[in-house]
Parts: sequence; C-alpha cells; structure tokens
Amino acid sequence: MEEKEFIQNLLNPKTQNEAFQKLLLDYQKPLYNHIRNIIIDHDDTDDVLQNTFIKVFQNLKNFKGESKLFSWMYRIATNEAITFINKRAKQNGTTSKTLQSKIIENLEADSHFDGNAIQLKLQKAIVNLPEKQQLVFKMRYFEEIKYEEMSEILGTSVGALKASYHHAVKKIEIFMTKD
Amino acid sequence: MKDFNINNEHKIDSGFKIPENYFEYFSEKVLLQINTEEPKVISIFYKKRTWISTIAAVLVIALSVTIYTKMAINTKDDSVVLENYITSQSDINQYDFVNLLDKNDIEKIKINLDLEDKNLEEVLTNSADIESYLTE
Repeated sequence: MEEKEFIQNLLNPKTQNEAFQKLLLDYQKPLYNHIRNIIIDHDDTDDVLQNTFIKVFQNLKNFKGESKLFSWMYRIATNEAITFINKRAKQNGTTSKTLQSKIIENLEADSHFDGNAIQLKLQKAIVNLPEKQQLVFKMRYFEEIKYEEMSEILGTSVGALKASYHHAVKKIEIFMTKD
Repeated sequence: MKDFNINNEHKIDSGFKIPENYFEYFSEKVLLQINTEEPKVISIFYKKRTWISTIAAVLVIALSVTIYTKMAINTKDDSVVLENYITSQSDINQYDFVNLLDKNDIEKIKINLDLEDKNLEEVLTNSADIESYLTE
C-alpha cells in the first residue's frame, strides 16, 4: 500500500483502528531498539515505547504528511526518550550524561544484557562521547538508518551528521584499542 | 596491540536482551491504554470553567458593592423624602402628631421663647384666630 493511502486510512475514523494496529506491528520493534539504545533499561524502554505510540495516535489528526510517517514517528520516539532521560537525571540531581554513564557502569549486572566483553566495551566507549554524537553513532551503526532519514528525524544536515559519525568512530576506535 | 578498526571488525551487536514474548502482547497493551484514556479536552474545559466562575464571582462582588453603596447614599435622603411625603401627602393632622409625642419628645422640641408680655399681647391682638387658642 502507498504511504499516502495508508495515511488516509489512519485519518479516517472508519479505517483508523485497523490501520493503527498495522502501524503498531510495523514499528514496535524498530522503535523499541531505537528507544532502548538511548535509555538502555528494558522496563523504562517499555514505558517510553507505549507513550510514544499513544502520542502518535493522539497526534494523527495533526500529521499533515509534510514528512514521511517513518521520520515523524522516529522524531516522537527520540523526543520521548530524551525527555525521559532528562527527567530522570533531574530527579536524581544529575546530568543526563552522568546518568547514562552510571547505567553503563552497571550494565554487566543488568539481567537484560547478555553481551560479551567486546559488546560491553563498545557501550562504554559510546557513553564517553558527547550526547549528540552518541545518538548519531547508535542510529547509524546499530540501527543502520540512512543519513537522509536521520537528517529528517534529527533536523540536522546530512553533512553535519556524516562529520559527527566520523568523529564518533575515531574516538571509539581509540577507546577500543586501549586495554 | 592491534588497532581497532570499526569497518574491519564484524558488526558488533548492542548486547541488549529482549524478554521472551514481549512483542506478542505489546500491541494489546497499547490499544487498551488508548481505549481507556480520557480525552484531554476535559482538563481544558475544567480550566475554562474555573475562569468563568472566577469572572462571575468578581462581577457579583462588584455589583454588590455598587448596590450597597447606592443604598447607603439613598438612606440618607430617605428621611428627607419621607418627611416631605408625610407633610405633603399625609392625612395626619397636628393633633394626631401631638398625641404621638411622649415626654422625651416634648422636652427635645421645647424652645425657650423668652417672650415678653408685650410681644405676646401683640401676637394675640394681630391674630384672627384668637378663639381657637382660647378653646384648645
């Protein structure tokens, strides 16, 4: 089905429920991975993912089709995840970067992490990056999102994103090479 | 130690584990929430209602103050208006008035005329109605 037709189905009260269920099935896994990459913890990811889809449903009437559905949904998911992290950091009286570092420090003990030593070291390398670079790296490396799509989601130029990814990779390679 | 090169290495996965069957029930959870969620319009209405109540209360207070003030002013004039009404409209004559007066009222309206006899004689002489003074 063409995206335009699908959007019409989402906006039409008669076909909305069925169309939204399809949207849920198509996007729950990629959006879960995207949010989990930011938030790390599974239970928090579950909460944010649910809130994301509820927000998507509530704002369908405001979706004008100026951007792709994919970009629009990822934008909502990214904002929800970042807002969550910032709120949690504020509650703990700390910054979001410090909070994420702490989460990664305790990752080995997390029952929802079964990564090996290399995977754990990579997570530690990523959390040392500036926050925007972390996001760009995760979206490109783990989620394999194209730069053009990333540009629509994050509102940053393709050139800036490519430069950000390049710098992130250099820092990670230095960290991973160290003992 | 060999330099780590991200492009030469096998793709490294994030290492995050997803609980079994998590996605099986996810859609249900979301749809249940959406169907039981109250519309946000209620809070907007509530805010609007609060504003309307506040404005109404202010208007009532303003109106009450205005009415009370007007009444207070009118009360001062009322006694004059009443007196004029009684004197111009009433059927009550001076004898009825006198009968209504008590000892205190009489003491209050008593004036010291300090009339000399010659002045009194002058009044009585010039008065055409001397008979009525003599019979009262």
